[in-house]
Amino acid sequence: MSDVAPQPEAAVAAERLTKRYGSLTAIEDLSFSVAPGEVVGFLGPNGAGKSTTMRILSGTMAGTSGRASIWGVSVALNPAEAKRHMAYMPENNPLPEDLRVEEYLRLRARLKDVEAGQVDARVNQVMEDCDLVRRASGRLIGQLSKGFRQRVGIADALLAQPKVVILDEPTIGLDPHQILGIRDLIRSLRGQMAVLISSHILHEVEQVCDKVVIINRGRLVAQGRTDDLRRELLPHAGFTIVTKASQAELTALCTAAEPAATVEAGVATDLGWSRYRVILPAQSPARETLATTLLGAGLPLREIAEERYGLEDIFLAATRRTPAEGRRS
Amino acid sequence: MRHFRTLLAHELRTALLSGNTWASAALFLALMGGIHFFALLECSRAPQPWTPVEATFRLFWLPLLCVLPLLTMRSFAEERRSGTLSALLTTPASTAAIVWAKFLSAWLTWAAFWCAFLLFPWLVDARLGTVGDQRLSDPATLFGGLCFVLVSGLLHVALGILCSCLTRSAALAALLTFICLLGLTAIGGAMESLPIESWTWLGWLREPAAHLRTFGHLQDFAGGILDSRPLVLYVTGMMLSLGLAVLAVEGQE
Repeated sequence: MSDVAPQPEAAVAAERLTKRYGSLTAIEDLSFSVAPGEVVGFLGPNGAGKSTTMRILSGTMAGTSGRASIWGVSVALNPAEAKRHMAYMPENNPLPEDLRVEEYLRLRARLKDVEAGQVDARVNQVMEDCDLVRRASGRLIGQLSKGFRQRVGIADALLAQPKVVILDEPTIGLDPHQILGIRDLIRSLRGQMAVLISSHILHEVEQVCDKVVIINRGRLVAQGRTDDLRRELLPHAGFTIVTKASQAELTALCTAAEPAATVEAGVATDLGWSRYRVILPAQSPARETLATTLLGAGLPLREIAEERYGLEDIFLAATRRTPAEGRRS
Repeated sequence: MRHFRTLLAHELRTALLSGNTWASAALFLALMGGIHFFALLECSRAPQPWTPVEATFRLFWLPLLCVLPLLTMRSFAEERRSGTLSALLTTPASTAAIVWAKFLSAWLTWAAFWCAFLLFPWLVDARLGTVGDQRLSDPATLFGGLCFVLVSGLLHVALGILCSCLTRSAALAALLTFICLLGLTAIGGAMESLPIESWTWLGWLREPAAHLRTFGHLQDFAGGILDSRPLVLYVTGMMLSLGLAVLAVEGQE
């Protein structure tokens, strides 16, 4: 018989989590999950309840109602066991100023139940992974730059090889080089551990995450893969067209190609050229043929480009939704 | 238990390297040195009904009120202010282990301060003492007095830890500890000086008064009397304070 515990369906599960501070509701009925080995972005505007949710999941704050579990273990009922499976890096990454990096990581390794014989090896490994060995290992944490402090926080999170890593704004205050380094590091964790990241840098999240969970005013408004959310939340395709034609001429050509097409009023650019925005349904076949149609009609055309919707557009569309729409989806 | 040992070693190391501990030690030794010097001066001028060591220990409340709050004020308040307590609570270490490690570290530091004070009577005896005359160092009073400050220190340090849990400001924690310790010592002193025995309407106060006579406990210890009541008072007071500290940390985080 194998003594290896079976892998749960969800590495992180939040079921109808609610947190109230007196009359203020920080999060309400929040449910989502992160599968083992999955990297999930946790997004929301400021004050949406991201940090509160992460603190409840990490066991440093009690929820008012609902259930939070880490690797199948209830955080409220068995916090010590849940914490053994998880590492959490809080938003401002608080670190003791008067300890050296290596001393701090050794202390944390012992507190995180890393086997005594493995402490040195694990500390050296995470310092190597986070590029701390040469420039920071012997320095006092209080003397480190913001970037190195973030790396120490991430090294701490990876020390005990947890099943789940929760990172609250891991790239905040970092320069582009450091952000790339952290992004590569998080990418390397895919498949090894479940990672839940909150960040305001949506481009980062799009690059790194398999899935996103978006909350607004404490409620879930969207969750899923970015492609699925793009289809669901942005059911149209936008084209930017620079032409000498009038809005009426352009509308006539576009509606001939796709009856549901709309043309937004143009903005004059220079020498009689105007910039228009044409909106088509995302599934319309005219998306493929619009340029050919316009050129075939002899329209004076200088530019035609399809707008690419990124996570930023998905985020804006999702945070405009009501929570009921989010739940229905 | 493994976490407790790790945390205690870390707390002791932090205390040893902290400028706050060394400044507190300097203040403590300056205070105790001054008190002992004046007690010796009084005894050298005219015969006194007490020994210099006894007189010094009777003023134990002075370092208790001035130095102990400095030792305990940062234990939780500073960690809560900087956020490192939250980070500590994300590990499998229990809140009780964290509270007990901080308490024991502060108590051991307090005990080390008092042990360092023993150098004064020893040096005075070595320089001025005569063979067979133990009045200058008075080992029985020294031992009894030391036992008293260590046993009562259990409650005093635990109160300091509890006060530190209640705020993010180290200065406010020190002030709260000062007020609590002043109240505890003053109530004990007042209980001894009030003629409670003759006030029949205050008869109900006799029982608590018998427990809270702090200076009486010092006299008992210094006189070699081992009474279990003060032991029970200080140990249960310590347990209660630390239990409340655990609840305070868990509630606030």
